[in-house]
Amino acid sequence: MSQSHRIDGGQIDRSKTLSFFFNDQRLDGYAGDTLASALVANGVKLVGRSFKYHRPRGIFSAGSEEPNALVQLRRGTFQEPNTRATVAELFDGLYATSQNHRGPLKHDLLAINDFFSPFMSAGFYYKTFMWPKAFWEKIYEPIIRSSAGLGRLSGKADPDIYDKGFLHCDVLIIGAGPAGLAAALRAARSGARVILADEDFQPGGRLNTETYSVDDTAGADWASTAIAELSSMDNVRLLTRTTVYGAYDHGVYGALESRTDHLRDSGGKPRQILWRICSRRAILCAGSTERSIAFGNNDRPGIMMAGSVRAYANRWAATPGKRVAVFTNNDDGWRTATDLAAHGVAISAVIDTRDKQPLAAPSGAMIAMGSTVTDTKGRHGIRSITLANGQTIDCDCLAVSGGWNPNVHLTCHQRGRPQWRDDLAAFVPGGDLPTGMSVVGAANGALTLSAALKQGHDEAGSVAAGLGFKKTKSALPKAEDEAAEVAAFWHVGQSNARAWIDQQNDVTVKDVKLSHQEGYRSVEHLKRYTTLGMATDQGKTANMLGLAVMAECTGRSIPETGTTIFRPPYSPVPIGALAGRARGKDFRPTRLSPSHEWAENQGATFVETGQWLRAQWFPKPGETNWRQSVDREALQVRSAVGICDVTTLGKIDVQGRDAAEFLNKVYANGFAKLAVGKTRYGLMLREDGIAADDGTTARLSETRFVMTTTTANAVAIFRHLEFCRQCLWPGLDVHLISATEQWAQYAVAGPKSRDLLRKIVDADIDISNEAFPFMACGEITVCGGTPARLFRISFSGELAYEIAVPTRYGDAMIKALMKAGEEFDAIAYGTEALGVLRIEKGHAAGNELCGQTTACDLGMGRMVSKKKDTIGSTLSERVDLNREDGLTLVGFAPVNRDDDLKAGAHFVTKGNAATTQNDEGWMTSVAYSPSLGHSIGLGFIKRGHERMGEIVQAADLLRGMNTDVEIVSPHFFDPEGERLRV
Amino acid sequence: MSDATLKARSPLDGYRQQFGTLEIVELNGLALVSVATPLDGEEELKKAMTTAHKAELPAVGSSTQSSVDDTRFLGLQPGQMFAMFAHDGDRAVEFVAKKLGETGYYTDQSDSWVILQLSGADVRTALERICAIDLQDSAFPVGAVTRTVMEHLGTIIMRTGHDTFVLLSARSSAKSFLHAVLTSVNNIQ
Amino acid sequence: MIINHPLLGPRDASEFVYLGDASLIDRPDWQHENSQQEFHNYLYLRDNPAGEHRELWFHEQGDRSWLVVTRNTLTHEISKVELARDVAKERGRDK
Repeated sequence: MSQSHRIDGGQIDRSKTLSFFFNDQRLDGYAGDTLASALVANGVKLVGRSFKYHRPRGIFSAGSEEPNALVQLRRGTFQEPNTRATVAELFDGLYATSQNHRGPLKHDLLAINDFFSPFMSAGFYYKTFMWPKAFWEKIYEPIIRSSAGLGRLSGKADPDIYDKGFLHCDVLIIGAGPAGLAAALRAARSGARVILADEDFQPGGRLNTETYSVDDTAGADWASTAIAELSSMDNVRLLTRTTVYGAYDHGVYGALESRTDHLRDSGGKPRQILWRICSRRAILCAGSTERSIAFGNNDRPGIMMAGSVRAYANRWAATPGKRVAVFTNNDDGWRTATDLAAHGVAISAVIDTRDKQPLAAPSGAMIAMGSTVTDTKGRHGIRSITLANGQTIDCDCLAVSGGWNPNVHLTCHQRGRPQWRDDLAAFVPGGDLPTGMSVVGAANGALTLSAALKQGHDEAGSVAAGLGFKKTKSALPKAEDEAAEVAAFWHVGQSNARAWIDQQNDVTVKDVKLSHQEGYRSVEHLKRYTTLGMATDQGKTANMLGLAVMAECTGRSIPETGTTIFRPPYSPVPIGALAGRARGKDFRPTRLSPSHEWAENQGATFVETGQWLRAQWFPKPGETNWRQSVDREALQVRSAVGICDVTTLGKIDVQGRDAAEFLNKVYANGFAKLAVGKTRYGLMLREDGIAADDGTTARLSETRFVMTTTTANAVAIFRHLEFCRQCLWPGLDVHLISATEQWAQYAVAGPKSRDLLRKIVDADIDISNEAFPFMACGEITVCGGTPARLFRISFSGELAYEIAVPTRYGDAMIKALMKAGEEFDAIAYGTEALGVLRIEKGHAAGNELCGQTTACDLGMGRMVSKKKDTIGSTLSERVDLNREDGLTLVGFAPVNRDDDLKAGAHFVTKGNAATTQNDEGWMTSVAYSPSLGHSIGLGFIKRGHERMGEIVQAADLLRGMNTDVEIVSPHFFDPEGERLRV
Repeated sequence: MSDATLKARSPLDGYRQQFGTLEIVELNGLALVSVATPLDGEEELKKAMTTAHKAELPAVGSSTQSSVDDTRFLGLQPGQMFAMFAHDGDRAVEFVAKKLGETGYYTDQSDSWVILQLSGADVRTALERICAIDLQDSAFPVGAVTRTVMEHLGTIIMRTGHDTFVLLSARSSAKSFLHAVLTSVNNIQ
Repeated sequence: MIINHPLLGPRDASEFVYLGDASLIDRPDWQHENSQQEFHNYLYLRDNPAGEHRELWFHEQGDRSWLVVTRNTLTHEISKVELARDVAKERGRDK
């Protein structure tokens, strides 16, 4: 069967034979073939099974509208299901298998579904929900699930890579058929930046598949000449194998470019690229799609769209049959007969639904005017057709044309509604197009060649002129207008056998009628009930038929019945392409502090905080459990000194004559009187009075402050401050710039911290308690002249400092600090120990500033100044935020000291049931305190500070725990705060 | 007092690599100082720039070059620009202040950024994979500068030559940023 | 979406962060006798027009300008883009 159906001519390269496999059968094709054309050339008719009834199916079309010829392409991890054979470019070694059958394709065990079809009509799936009730979960669902779906995924990670990109142009031209090429030539010659995108690997559209002439040369040759000219121009970007799949706001289009799908091996390059195209104007030249006619058993392999049959013959030199019959309601269908006959293929009959004079037909063909096909025969491929008068005609291919539908899809992506045109019996684009889009050619209902060329040429001229480009000489390509008359005809009423409308989702005329009977009047409901047009082909060849049958049922006209509109994507976009590079660790960037490499060398365990990786703890040899490391680190800070990288805290440089006033407005507590050289804790509220963020802010000069924010909120706080600055108080002289990245900052905490720092700071810097007391700050030098900033602030409750150096010195600084600390038994500590230390001190952090709590709740109510206008101050005074029985941040200790506490537990008075009604608050932070020798917790509970010593339940229903805890002061350790002032 | 001086490290330890005709170089030894214009102080700042640098105040989205020294001013946002000049030390602000006096508010940004220079004929083809900005000559001529986002990372992009672009991104994510750029280069070649 | 920035020209919406109704510029006077009610209305009561809407966008991955964007919520058509600082000044917020 070696290329038994290959004929003369075509645009394939016969010097390049390509071998491929279909269901393990080795076949040959040529360069320029699609998988479908190569299968046609090899006489393969049966290529798959239908979705629901497992009916034998063949190739139906020659383009991206294909409903039937879905195959699994490639093998192993590269396996991709539901690939349309009609757009899969042939390459040497291509491996394809048919899908949706059990056992061999010819003897599919699930073909039995076809016999049960009376039970699987429209909505059968929904009906299984109804009765008997117990059947759904145990019987229907497992059966449906195991037999549903088309192809199979490999189940393994996709080994291909994908990329995205951004393109810009003056004019985007979608489709490189005759209208698109005419438009592109004119626009490009005017100097406009043009992107011309076409889904095919060979631009030209129907010029490649028809026998038309343009400017007295063969259409395909004219197209190649036009492409050659466009490719040579700097202002033109030609994107072949690129589907513009969506029209978005403001001239933005989504396009999927296939880069290596036609290659055996991608060579490590992206398989596909998802482009975001920004255009000033777009000209849609998407052409049209042929539609079918519904008649009995119209889904057999060998029954194809008429335009596709001649496309295979003209472009790919492959004939779908050796004895071809044509069934049409329009002039265009006749071209299939004459084109195939010109290739020497026998035409057995031309059946036209119209009762009129026949067009010119090949000799030997039986002509039946005003007639229809009522049924067909042939199990795995059509063998004969039966006409309305009972006559049977043999054929091995039936070419059907029900007319052409303009491809209006992209015009609907902004909810534009197509309009009905009676003369074409089709919908054309309506007036409400996406901004900047115009439509020409067949997509706009100009279904003849010369009209398409003229529309493309004219529209490009006016678009270019509208964008201000010069008028240049550009001749309109000349062509003849071919006959294109059509008379609406949708389905053969005399057919008793099932007549398919949507082949991919197995929707028949009967299903549409049934759904109408069952009360579905709206076309949107019809779609959902029957699943018409909801398969991967989105009903490109089916929707119109379904609508027409629906109209017939309701006795309304088609425009009265309505049309469904389309949304992106025009054709399927792989999830991999939408994900692009954002896979695995590339999902988001990683931020590393300057001590990261050093910490890695110390064997630190890291934790993600936002994009940052922070050292969580530093295990020492012999430590087998994280708690051992964390306990040791926390104790060492309390007894000697520890160093922690706090670079990740947000730092904002605030400068200006009004910087102090500005801070006074954004912090709940006062900052106007903060002295130069001093640092102050600040609490920011949201405008609704809820605590937003906290941190320390240091005043370096009269006009300069350095604010810190929490790591997590740095970006949001900066945005908020810019809002305050630009929108609320534009009259203040204040300027903000992030300095987070500029400084490597280390906390040096513990009784020996001053001793350690004395070895780091330069000799002339006095950091004695007198000269540099608690909350002091200053710009100093370290290590022989390196500029640095020193802040005497403490999160741990110990004598502590934070020291910052320009980031370039961050790596050297951590090493210098550790070296200087050797004699004081200094250790590095991570975020876990940092957490333990702050919980021991009762300092609030992210768990407490959770977006639900007020300054009052946090025990900082008195900090909120009532004497100034501050973000959040007015609404923080609302009665319900200041209730007597409001939440209070307090400490909790387990009554049984061996009990572990869990954050998230809810507090309930002893004796009450753990229910929502009895809920009195929740545990926010817990830690094991190595200093105290037991677990401790912070949390909010109603009237907390009046209840010191009370024992309540900490109920954790999720983890099935209920622990008795005592309400205590949140300041577990050194409650008077003496240690940090020494 | 410490006996050791602190050794500076660049974000990517001086990365430099050639990919066909495309070269990627980490630029070091450049100072970046943000200069904020005091409220109602634009005229004075302009005067100081003219006197000290013979340079114009850049409009947002463009840069100006001193005609007497190597300082380039990057107009990044209303009321704020970056001064960029060769300087290997850690006292960049003092240099700016010496020239412009008290006409601006200065913040050292020299350690905040990784700076990559991409040059070669394919540079725009590589950048179009990660940069949403239109980099065509007409839309983004030599001297143009703007802040945008590439692969989730804030990036300042400046065109310094027909086929040369300088990209600045946050220092902490320098490795991720380099990875994004290298992936783009690999994907086009 | 593309926002035509008054200083930078058309820029991709992915560079911007949305806040909400531009009436957030009109922050009430904290010393107003009815300030709690005023702030309550300011913060919680919003028009939700089907049509033209003035809203605040922050050019976070750009020039850090807050913008007042006039956008039609039905069509997404953007008819006007202003610097929020200018709008705030016009409304007397720099006094």
